[in-house]
Amino acid sequence: MKPNPPSLNRAAELFTLMARWLLGAVFLYLGLNKALHPVEFLKLIRQYELVQSSLMLNSLAAALPWFEVFCGLLLLAGVAVRGTALMLMAMLAPFTVLVFRRALAIHSIQAIPFCLVKFDCGCGNGEVFVCRKLMENFLLIMLSAWMLAGRGRKVCLRHALLPFGRRR
Amino acid sequence: MKIYPPESLASGCRHPGGQPLVEALIVLLVGVAFAFGANWLSPRGLKLARNYFPAESNRLVTPAKNIGVPFGPAGTNQALPSSAALLASRLTEQGLQLLDGRQANQLFQDPGFKTGAIVFVDARDEIRYHEGHIPGAYEFDPYYPEKYFTNVLPACQTARRIVVYCNGGDCDDSESAALTLKDVGIPISRLFIYGGGITDWTTNGLPVEAGARNSGSLHGPNQ
Repeated sequence: MKPNPPSLNRAAELFTLMARWLLGAVFLYLGLNKALHPVEFLKLIRQYELVQSSLMLNSLAAALPWFEVFCGLLLLAGVAVRGTALMLMAMLAPFTVLVFRRALAIHSIQAIPFCLVKFDCGCGNGEVFVCRKLMENFLLIMLSAWMLAGRGRKVCLRHALLPFGRRR
Repeated sequence: MKIYPPESLASGCRHPGGQPLVEALIVLLVGVAFAFGANWLSPRGLKLARNYFPAESNRLVTPAKNIGVPFGPAGTNQALPSSAALLASRLTEQGLQLLDGRQANQLFQDPGFKTGAIVFVDARDEIRYHEGHIPGAYEFDPYYPEKYFTNVLPACQTARRIVVYCNGGDCDDSESAALTLKDVGIPISRLFIYGGGITDWTTNGLPVEAGARNSGSLHGPNQ
């Protein structure tokens, strides 16, 4: 198989670097927004009825924002990039399904076009139109998948925690 | 016995698909420890063992099912009871009493309000309280009660009627505040919930006070 020309590789590396920083900055921003207003976040996630126990609900509301901050910092610094990307996908995918389901419920109750459904999903940026939120989440999942594929190791403190997969 | 080179000892981690998975687990463990630590250190951190929604067990309609339902005269689903009826029913189950805007205003105009026999308690957060509250109302965010007990408790202990309110609508912070006050010894018979809250109050053109309690910064039709 013919290898990619160096300029194409450089473009891919640059894209990956920008994507990683974007993903990291987004999670840092959204996480801090929630972490600084934990009660608001607690009220919002209660509406999803994910757990019944108050201890579980409090733990989720207390830990999730700071965990997002942690993942954002890891991505910005370029530490454990693939593992972090996998964690982000594992958080984003089910949460996107929950947002979609809740939007569907509001859509059917209020009888308004789906894309006009607007609510605060607890994502950290207030009330948003659901179609926009779903698109954003899809984009974030795609970027995480790109990171997970192991592309780009520029400006990374430690791209992989484990020895396997390191470039020699 | 075969001797494996050190590099191959972690062969389980060497599967191309296994490495990110193990790394993700490490990120998860360290991240969870970081998250709980940060929450513990944060002045706004949540207390894990506290029940922040004491009214939860008695709820007739959960917020999730209530979201987006067009209650009231403009509502399209006539089979659903009004939000006021649901609220009154829920409060009755908890032993609390519901006030409407007219009754809340009567208590506000009552001479007992000046003497401290009638007390208003604002159950919204600090920012909203300072933006505007019912004049003379005490600030009491039920999610951080310890911060406000010093001021609120003595007033509530001597009052005959305590009117607790929040934003109105779907907001149930006034219930949480009332139940928190009940838990620290305020007789429930003295606790009243102003269901319409500050939204109803301002809609009726009644005065609001900005800043701290008794700041004198009043806004309203007669000010």
